[in-house]
Amino acid sequence: MAGPRDLTTAVLRFGQMLRASGMPLTITEMMDGVRALDAVDLLDRRDVYLALRTTLVARREEFPIFDRCFETFWRFQAEEGQGLEGLTGPATPAIPEEHAGDTGAEAAQKKVSVALEGWEETGDDDGEPLEVPGVSEKEILMDQDFSSFPVEDLDEVARLTILIAKRLARRISRRKRPTRRGGVIDMRRSIRANLMKGEIIELRRRERRRRKVRLVLLCDVSGSMDLYSRFLLQFLYALQNVFGRVETFTFSTRLTRVTEHLKGASYRTALARLAEVRDFSGGTRIGESLQEFNARWGSLVDRHTIVLLLSDGWDTGEPEVLANEMLAIKRKAGRLIWLNPLLGNPSYEPLTRGMAAALPLVDHFAAAHNLASLRDLAGHLNLR
Amino acid sequence: MRAEIEKIQQMMEDANYVTDPAIATSVHLAMTLKKPLLIEGHAGVGKTEVAKVMSRMLDAHLIRLQCYEGLDAAQALYEWNYPKQLLHIKLEESTTHTLREKEATIFSEPFLIRRPLLQAIGQDGKPPVLLIDEVDRADEEFEAFLLEVLSEFQVTIPEIGTIRATHPPYVILTSNRVRELSDALRRRCLYLWIDFPGFDKEVRIVMRKVPGVNEALARQISRFMESLRTIRLAKVPGVAETLDWAQALASLHADHLDEELVLETLGCVLKDADDVKRFKRELTSSGLKRFVATEG
Repeated sequence: MAGPRDLTTAVLRFGQMLRASGMPLTITEMMDGVRALDAVDLLDRRDVYLALRTTLVARREEFPIFDRCFETFWRFQAEEGQGLEGLTGPATPAIPEEHAGDTGAEAAQKKVSVALEGWEETGDDDGEPLEVPGVSEKEILMDQDFSSFPVEDLDEVARLTILIAKRLARRISRRKRPTRRGGVIDMRRSIRANLMKGEIIELRRRERRRRKVRLVLLCDVSGSMDLYSRFLLQFLYALQNVFGRVETFTFSTRLTRVTEHLKGASYRTALARLAEVRDFSGGTRIGESLQEFNARWGSLVDRHTIVLLLSDGWDTGEPEVLANEMLAIKRKAGRLIWLNPLLGNPSYEPLTRGMAAALPLVDHFAAAHNLASLRDLAGHLNLR
Repeated sequence: MRAEIEKIQQMMEDANYVTDPAIATSVHLAMTLKKPLLIEGHAGVGKTEVAKVMSRMLDAHLIRLQCYEGLDAAQALYEWNYPKQLLHIKLEESTTHTLREKEATIFSEPFLIRRPLLQAIGQDGKPPVLLIDEVDRADEEFEAFLLEVLSEFQVTIPEIGTIRATHPPYVILTSNRVRELSDALRRRCLYLWIDFPGFDKEVRIVMRKVPGVNEALARQISRFMESLRTIRLAKVPGVAETLDWAQALASLHADHLDEELVLETLGCVLKDADDVKRFKRELTSSGLKRFVATEG
């Protein structure tokens, strides 16, 4: 009979596998998993499954990952009563091939992200006001469309994007000063302050807590939009500390959540990874993508959320679907912003059927096609 | 299945709650591991009921904290009884007590209002069941505060001192996913997703809770609900709606479903004007058969 130590090891290895598949498990959860197995019938596969699911999973969306990993990892013998063998000694390559090299790859990845962790802080940004964008040469860069930069200059433009974002970030956080009037009455302090007076003469107030604004980004990565999406992401990621939370999705014909991909790593690695989720099938189905967003991720949006949609509006789907889904978002969101880089072109008029259907529902319509427009965008990223 | 889990399932059934192994296992683990259990699911699938049944099962006190936007520590934990304090200060005006004495009096137990979280912590004897209902409605700040209380089970009141739970409560949190909860809170809890019941479970629920309904009708109702939930609706009806409807049908002495009856009682099931329209369209185009057809 296998001892509890083997069981612990097995659960930890299973946890590693779940982590590698994208579930951010904590050690506590894994230890709970071990304890949970102690509280159920180890010979009953369903018991084991439910015990581990209850302890390791934290949201419904993780069920499919969990189920898949469970199938692979806890390979049981077909006959009943063989459970424990399966439990403690996962059949030889129970972990899929790519997982075998995982520890190495993971370690390497960790190293990379550690090395790049400080990218937001690096540079001479501390204290000194930045020269950017003040110099005339850079002023020109500000107004140039992203798509017109030669490829070799894109790195420099990216660096500028981040610098501007960081300056803005500081300005936005400074805005949060407590006010004298308003706020809610602090009874506790009022009572104390008036203890000897016999009645409340002087009211003490405390500031009503301000909540950080959350952002949901929906970025079109089809065709020419890809480049603009990258700059927008870069810009907003440098700003992210100002926001409570940033959730990112990309879409062309279908929707992909990339928030996790963008976490921790540097923008460079992160953006490189975006290419992996891109699909080149051509055409954009904005309406359907938003529909999917509303159905699966609708709970991310509330009135403290700003939803940013970056797209040229060339929708191959039905405008009615698009309008319906936009309306659903608008009803819940604090603000709905549509960014269309084509707007930077003076001869452009938003006449595509998709745009025409969506425009009346949008709170703010802007270009985001160059550095100057990104800078202006920051002014719109607040509520009230 | 482990005997204890089977027993819990039986006890829950006895407490008039139709359950399944997933729910019973989660409840069992919440009690054994002494960890908070986060229950999610659509409205009306019986999330809150789990806590109620648990308290009945354990014969423990049920303390309920209903969350809402703007809920803060004063509402959830404790507050001083300000009117009483004021009155006391007024009455004491002419006495010669010093400031320190006055202060000690008005910031003492009799002036303290215990809110649900403090009640749950300060309970003597048996551990109570603490239900934190619709935690997704509270603000993010409150969530952070909750995390702190749930990990320590102790509260420090500056004027009185630290109150530590001798018997930490069993904690059940429910969420309708109005707002996405933080990972920190999620990963601190055990997790249970209650889906809409399958056909058989729903038949059992209807039979159990609405005595006036015969089995044939209960099966028709459940089949209808099952297919209704596959249409895109703004407000998908839960078990609560099923039961309301079954109750209504029972009081009309119905023994089977027909179109007229369904339309008359539709208000029990669909509560959104657009949904009603959509359903009626569906009904005219493919008839009631589409909703109860597979029933043989």
